[in-house]
Amino acid sequence: MISCQALRWGAPGQPLTPPLTMERPTGSLTAIIGANGSGKTSLLKVLAGLQKPLAGKATVNVPKRGGVSFLPQQQYLDRQFPISLQELVAAGAWGSSHTPAMRRLRLKTVLDDWALDGLEHRPLMALSGGELQRALLARLSLADAPLLLLDEPHAALDEQGQALLWRHLHKWHADGKTAVVVCHDLGAVREHIPHTLLVSHSRCVLGRSVDLIAQQPSAWVA
Amino acid sequence: MLTATHLWQPFQEFVFMRRALLGGLVLACSTAPLGVFLILRRMSLIGDAVAHGILPGAALGFWMAGLSLPALTLGGLGAGLSMAGLAAWITRRTGLREDASLAAIYPISLAAGVLILGLAGKRLDLLHVLFGSALAVDGPTLTGMLWVCGISLVAMALIYRPLLLDTLDPLFLRTVSRLGPLAHGVFLTLVVLNLVIGFQAIGALMVVGLMMLPAAASRFWSRRLPILMIIAALLGCISVWLGLLLSFNFSLPSGPAIVLVAGASYLLSVVFGPVHGLLRRPPLLTSQ
Repeated sequence: MISCQALRWGAPGQPLTPPLTMERPTGSLTAIIGANGSGKTSLLKVLAGLQKPLAGKATVNVPKRGGVSFLPQQQYLDRQFPISLQELVAAGAWGSSHTPAMRRLRLKTVLDDWALDGLEHRPLMALSGGELQRALLARLSLADAPLLLLDEPHAALDEQGQALLWRHLHKWHADGKTAVVVCHDLGAVREHIPHTLLVSHSRCVLGRSVDLIAQQPSAWVA
Repeated sequence: MLTATHLWQPFQEFVFMRRALLGGLVLACSTAPLGVFLILRRMSLIGDAVAHGILPGAALGFWMAGLSLPALTLGGLGAGLSMAGLAAWITRRTGLREDASLAAIYPISLAAGVLILGLAGKRLDLLHVLFGSALAVDGPTLTGMLWVCGISLVAMALIYRPLLLDTLDPLFLRTVSRLGPLAHGVFLTLVVLNLVIGFQAIGALMVVGLMMLPAAASRFWSRRLPILMIIAALLGCISVWLGLLLSFNFSLPSGPAIVLVAGASYLLSVVFGPVHGLLRRPPLLTSQ
């Protein structure tokens, strides 16, 4: 599903890590961990085809359009934008071939799934950070892509929201979707995500989450 | 004393007033959604830059073919688009911010335009190009404005959804569709097209006011995008109508009169608008 060969990424002339070579099979669930500025978000963007690699190759074996869903960090959205939560979420159905009735039903279902019922007509600027995050996740659910690239999906979510997130992630995993998740919460990674890629300026290591996280200084693990 | 007849009579009586009114109204309707999107895209200043940048093309058209509508339009369109394109290209290749690269190119265009006009022998009055006169809208110009307005509204309806997503969340749009750059390009072309047709009617600098002021004012009246565009169009139409009346009754230049009425509607909106206007408390539903 995902294949990286001697991949280097980052700003031109300044690759962030040593070359990365890895294979992730279809249906795998992988976390990316590392310090701030170690290139986690950039790697996701390279995998999503939104940024060009500096060297090497990254290929993902999915349809060119609608094969990848990318969850950005929410500070990159303009909160003043004059649309409602429902309009934001409904964009997830872009290009779907469902009938209008079916689309409405699917929209209603994902809004319920992410505990957003009652907030449909709120403007973006009136949403809390957690509500906006759940809206972005709901849009991702609606898009139903085979490859999910999530950048800090747990950010801004409260306990219940995080529980909702992990439940959905397990369901997507069980459905055979491939997912890569950037996450700072090492305790949650150890608990919920079987494999982890650690990126840093000196090395890139892929391994089982339990083993990798056991090697990290204990103060980092919640 | 202002009576109902005062509001209609000049338009009934004089054909040039009717033409000016109709032209101004269609221009207000087609520039309003463009202005709203320019603000949302944080490109509010591009209108100004393009309006200046149109000048060398229009001047060249004038030099080659005299005061002919197609020559001025084609020249202005060519110059406006190549200026916006050049600025975008420099930004992509060098990482210079888009507003800086526009700001660097439009004085070049403006100076080139003034130079060409000088070479052409000053037969085209520079003041007329920059500030125009709505009262000089003739038949062919009016037909041109109707066409541009129709094309703009249809094209905006067609690219509405991709343009909306490309503005809000371009990365998301890129993962589901390749329409983003197309919508962006069509949108910029429409902006230039409206500025070019508008510069012949009310002047290159005044048409920017008609595009941006109602759009900026509408932001104080609603939080919903379709309603914002309708309010902007209405404010634009009212500005054109009142501006023309003022210009007729008090012998004022028409372009500035229209833009000043639009400016007044903007200032009133800042003070009284229900969405974050100065006199309103922040509504209960704010973020966090």
